[in-house]
Amino acid sequence: MTQAIRVEWQKLRRSTVTLTTTALLLVLLPLMAFGLYSVAMEGGTGLLAHKASAFLDGEGWASYLGAVDQIAAVAVFIGAGIVVAWTFGREHADRTFSSLFALPVARGSIAGAKLVVLTGWVTVLSLLLVVASLGLGFVAGVGDLKEGVLLSGLVKLFAVALSGGALSLTMGFVASIGRGYLPAVGVIIVIVAAAQISVLFGTGGWFPYAVPGLIAVSGSEGAPVLSAFQVALVPITAAVGVWLTVHWWQQAEVV
Amino acid sequence: MTSTSPLLRTEALTRRFDGELAVEDLELDVHSGEIHAVVGLNGAGKTTLMRLLLGMLKPDAGRAIVLGFDAAAVASEVWSEVGHLIESPFAYPELTVEENIAAAALLHKLDPPLIPSLVAQALEEFELSRWSGKRARTLSLGNRQRLGLVSALVHHPSILILDEPANSLDPAGVVFIRDLLKTRARRGAAILVSSHHLDELARIADRISVLHAGRHIGSLDPTGVDLEKRFFDLVYEEDIASRGTVT
Repeated sequence: MTQAIRVEWQKLRRSTVTLTTTALLLVLLPLMAFGLYSVAMEGGTGLLAHKASAFLDGEGWASYLGAVDQIAAVAVFIGAGIVVAWTFGREHADRTFSSLFALPVARGSIAGAKLVVLTGWVTVLSLLLVVASLGLGFVAGVGDLKEGVLLSGLVKLFAVALSGGALSLTMGFVASIGRGYLPAVGVIIVIVAAAQISVLFGTGGWFPYAVPGLIAVSGSEGAPVLSAFQVALVPITAAVGVWLTVHWWQQAEVV
Repeated sequence: MTSTSPLLRTEALTRRFDGELAVEDLELDVHSGEIHAVVGLNGAGKTTLMRLLLGMLKPDAGRAIVLGFDAAAVASEVWSEVGHLIESPFAYPELTVEENIAAAALLHKLDPPLIPSLVAQALEEFELSRWSGKRARTLSLGNRQRLGLVSALVHHPSILILDEPANSLDPAGVVFIRDLLKTRARRGAAILVSSHHLDELARIADRISVLHAGRHIGSLDPTGVDLEKRFFDLVYEEDIASRGTVT
C-alpha cells in the first residue's frame, strides 16, 4: 500500500479543494468564534449579543474555546466531509476510475491509501486548529490564562475536531456509491440538519453525527451527559464507513 | 504456459447490461508479438470486451483470461504485466506531466529509485519533455492522450489493451502511435487495440476481428483491399441474418 499512499498524498496536497478547506477552517473558524465571543462579552442588548450570550458559557478562555468547539463541531465535519467526498468522487468526475483497475496495487489498497492520508490530514488539521485557536486567543488577549481551563479546553477542542473529522470519513462511501462528490455533498447537508433535529428531540446522543456537537457543549449547564457508548459511536461509525468504502472499491465495476 | 499460448483469451465471454447483451459468446485471443485489432460500430461491444479483459467488469458467463488467469479473480501482481488505456487517460489535472508518469510508475510497483530515470526516458520517447512541469489540466487533448499512453506503457508491459489510442492525436501523433505499437509488438508484446479508423488498423494490425451487436461476426485481412466495403458487407450480412429475412 506504500506506493498508493505516496500517490494519494501527492494528489491530496496538490488539490485546491484540500488547500482551500484547510485554510478556511484554520483561519475563518477561530475568527468567527472570536467574533461571537467578543459580541457576547460586550453584553449589548441587540439580537446578536443576546444570541451570542445564550450560545456561550462562562467567560475568558472557557467562553472563547466553547465558541470554537461549537463551530468546529459542525464546520470540521462539513469541510473534511467535502475533502473526503472529493477524494473519492473525483475519480468518477475526472473519469480516472478505470485507470485504477488492472494495476498490481489492488483497488482495496488504493481506497485504503486514500483513507490513510485523509485520516492523517484530519488529525493534523485538528491539531493545527487547536494551535490556531490558541494563537488567536493570545494575540487578541482573551482573558487571563488559567492553565487547567486552557489545557482541558484545548483537549476538548481537539476531541471535537477529530470526532467531526472521523465521521467525515464515511462520506468516502457515499461518494463511491454515488460515483461522484455531489451526492456526498447533498448527504452532508442532510446529516447536519438531521443532527440539529436529533439534538432538539433529545436523541442526539444516539445519532453519531450529533455527538461532536454534544461533546462541544458538554459540561455546560443543561447539556446532556453522553455515555461512553454514545461517544464510542463516533469511532464505530467511522470504522463501519471505512470498511464499507474499502469493500465497495474491492467489488466495484466500471459502468 | 507454452510459448504459443495466447497471452489474452476469451472463452464464450458474455455480459449483459440490464438484460441487454453487450457481448455474447465471444471467442478471441492475442498472442505474444501480435497486434490484434477489434473494429465495430458504436455499441458493438469493443469497450465492454476490453473492460472484461481488464477485470473492470465481471462476465455473466464465460471467461476472460489474462496470462492464463481468470481476469475476474486474478491476483493483483499479474497486472504488472498489463498496460491499458480505456476511454480516459491516466492524467490527474492537479499533477504535472512528470508527476503523473511517476504516479503511474509507482502504481505499477516500479522500483522507486529507478522511477526518475524511467520518467525522463518516457518524456523523451513520447515527446512530452516540453510539458514535463506543466499541470495536466493545462494540456491539449492530444497531449493528455500522449500522457495516458505513457502511463500505460511506462512499465514496459507484455500485454497492451488500448481503446481508440489515436483519439485526439494529430497526424504526427497517429504516426507516432503506429510506430510505437509496432515496436512494442516486435519486442514481444501482445496488443489488443480498437479503432474506428479501418485504414489505420490495416497499417498496424496482424489480425482484425469485427464485432457487431456484441458478437464476433468475422475477420478482415489487413492486407486486403477495400477494407471499408468488406467491413460493411459483414455488418450488413449479420443484420440480415439476425432479422431472419433476405431482401
